[in-house]
Amino acid sequence: MPELSQKLRQALSAVQKPGRYTGGEPGCTYKDAAAVDVRMAFCFPDTYEIGMSFLGMKILYELLNDHANWWCERCFLPWVDMKAEMERLDIPLYALESKDPLTAFDIVGFSLEYELCYTNVLAMLRLAGIPLRAAQRDGRWPLIIAGGPCVCNAEPMADFFDAMQLGEGEEMLQSICAAVETAKKHGWDKNRLLLALAQIPGVYVPAFYTVEYGADGRFRSIRPNRPGVPEKVTRAIVKDLDSIPPPRDFVVPMVGAVQDRACVEVLRGCVRGCRFCQAGQIYRPFRERSPERISQSARTLCQNTGYDELSLSSLSTSDHSRLEQTLDAINAWAPAEHVSLSLPSLRVDNFSQSLVEKTTRVRKSGLTFAAEAGTQRLRDVINKNVSWEQLERTCRIAFSQGYTAVKLYFMMGLPTETMEDIKGIADTCQRVVDLYYSLDHARGKGVQVTASVACFVPKPWTPFQFCQQDRRETLREKQKYLLSCVRSRKVKINYHDSATSVLEGVFAKGDRRLGKVIETAFENGACYDTWEEFFDYDRWLAAFAACGLDPDFYNYRALGPDEPLPWDHLDVGVRRAYLVREYQKALRAEPSPPCDRQCSGCGADKLLGRPCF
Amino acid sequence: MTTVRIFFEKQGEAAYISLLDLQRVFHRVLKRSGLPVWYTQGFNPHIYLAFCSPLSLGQESLCESCEVKTEADAPDCAAWAAALRPYMPRGITVLSAAPAVHRMGEISAADYRLTLPAAALPALEAYNAAPAAPVTKKTKRGEKTIDLKEILPRLGWQRAGDSLAVPVRLPCAEGANLNPALLLGWLQQQGDIAPWQCRILRTALLLPDGTEFC
Repeated sequence: MPELSQKLRQALSAVQKPGRYTGGEPGCTYKDAAAVDVRMAFCFPDTYEIGMSFLGMKILYELLNDHANWWCERCFLPWVDMKAEMERLDIPLYALESKDPLTAFDIVGFSLEYELCYTNVLAMLRLAGIPLRAAQRDGRWPLIIAGGPCVCNAEPMADFFDAMQLGEGEEMLQSICAAVETAKKHGWDKNRLLLALAQIPGVYVPAFYTVEYGADGRFRSIRPNRPGVPEKVTRAIVKDLDSIPPPRDFVVPMVGAVQDRACVEVLRGCVRGCRFCQAGQIYRPFRERSPERISQSARTLCQNTGYDELSLSSLSTSDHSRLEQTLDAINAWAPAEHVSLSLPSLRVDNFSQSLVEKTTRVRKSGLTFAAEAGTQRLRDVINKNVSWEQLERTCRIAFSQGYTAVKLYFMMGLPTETMEDIKGIADTCQRVVDLYYSLDHARGKGVQVTASVACFVPKPWTPFQFCQQDRRETLREKQKYLLSCVRSRKVKINYHDSATSVLEGVFAKGDRRLGKVIETAFENGACYDTWEEFFDYDRWLAAFAACGLDPDFYNYRALGPDEPLPWDHLDVGVRRAYLVREYQKALRAEPSPPCDRQCSGCGADKLLGRPCF
Repeated sequence: MTTVRIFFEKQGEAAYISLLDLQRVFHRVLKRSGLPVWYTQGFNPHIYLAFCSPLSLGQESLCESCEVKTEADAPDCAAWAAALRPYMPRGITVLSAAPAVHRMGEISAADYRLTLPAAALPALEAYNAAPAAPVTKKTKRGEKTIDLKEILPRLGWQRAGDSLAVPVRLPCAEGANLNPALLLGWLQQQGDIAPWQCRILRTALLLPDGTEFC
């Protein structure tokens, strides 16, 4: 165990929950730093509690550390108090296992899960003493890379990274580490290494592409600026999920993480094709793990970690074609081994009695369903194929099983939305309340229906990428109107301010010029933007103004179907023609069937090299 | 049913694991070990475990213990300790496991070793010279002022290189506990002693007759 330095002990004695900064959790990997060939710091640009809930890190941590001569460690953004102490005492940001500063690593990799974490990335680089921009770093600095869903529009953060990974990291990140190992062995300079990285499927090297803008300020094109670099970077995927087993072990946090349980990913992609949902498009095609593999991996993971709670995760777990078989396999060993099972992301349309019964060991506190829109018309527009009858049936089952709280997710600001649709949100909630009281229920036990209403943000690679976002005034009006439509104390409406949604929209669809805005806002103090108490919209507006850019240009302007887009050089799988087709169907309120029933020709099957089903 | 007590050290990084976190850690380590520990029989069965006289965050110890129950007759305690050892987080070292001899309630005092920088010497001398050393103790029922000198009339110390080792024995019983951090706090008020230069190490838990709790 490395002795904690005096400075670090000094910092730890002054902060809340110091256990977040000490490492040492069961399941950590330790190696001899002097004896390994490649050292990677896997950075999560948010706090420990959030980062330690992230399954992707656990998957890649184990895959990399399975190589005897590579060592992958973890690093998170310290909370405000610790960050201040580290700045005051001049402690550079370090990885938890070895406590070595990030500058001692060959690769520093960030996971970009959410647009509002962008300033956190810069904060971590700054805290590590690493220059922010890729152009400022020569080969003596670690290779700074990124992965995660936000890379599907890489441009706003492109200035800061040497390489960005489009798609699934299991194979891609190992190829990157192998390239770094070769580069070190042969003494390649940074340029040569980057050229080698650009050959790896899914890897995007921003410096090798030049962006052009038109006189009207619109994005015009992005093209490779040297030979040997692909015109289009195609997303990397794992074709057969069973070929890469889920993690055998987790680093088990001691200070509670948000998601602190064993977790097995049962499928990837989604068959639904909801038109607002980015994940539903960019993780295509749909691929499943086999029930035997899931059950076996879950058992091993619970044995190795000591977790007594197991979750089966994915975008839509109940869409697994053999879910009941999987649950039976798990239930064959779980009760005897004191493991209880929970299923997140259940769907209203295939929620069944037997599904509830097979997961009854979960405490009956509440159920959450995503209805997304308040009227059938609007649900058809967004292709959320859920009807009131299905919601009613689901709630009926849930209430009969003893549930008394239902949480419903909605969005406002959706394309074609009218006040009628907003009223529909309140009406839907009221109908759930009425349903409860129309059934036999325990005397004196009331029902609570909570509607969580988010502001819709158009995202790239979705049929709604062409839409503009609702203006803040409009959203405020809609929120106010919604509240006025609620007549019962059994219905609670949650929503929050739209300022973060505005910024999210700008960065989701933005171009490379936004790097300067992010940097400016960061230099003026922006950080922890996902935390409401630290989010300062005016500071962001000032940064836009200082850079001569108008945020409204990015999210209050509809995009033409043929307009060049800042993510045109990336190929996540789905085709533009398909997105346009789906958008036009949306405007006609015409739903599309799930892709396991009828193929919509999105184009993602080319990643698989065969039909999806 | 046998109560088995697991003794362990908690040092270095592990000093920053709080009691709540420690419970989680033990729960998982015990589950992982596959040892035949007893589960509570309630609606949500969980492994029964109890820690005696938990440490404050940041303090270290050579004599922590956690008790569990088992329905196994004559458990092989050496095997238990060996089974738990590999799964512990860095800084927690399982020393031994043994059937409990005493009840937790029988503990009456604890020995600590405070390690202070050489600069703390005047503060130690001031303590011995002072007629009283009042400190404020926060309890669930509010604040209470107590005089440390009534409990600890004199401090002794030994020089060890750049630092001073101060052994103290303090009450450590249910309702009559004195956290060594209070003594440290009083000393720190006397002069400039940086908190991170001080360490508190618990070395033994004692019964009223002065023998070690086991």
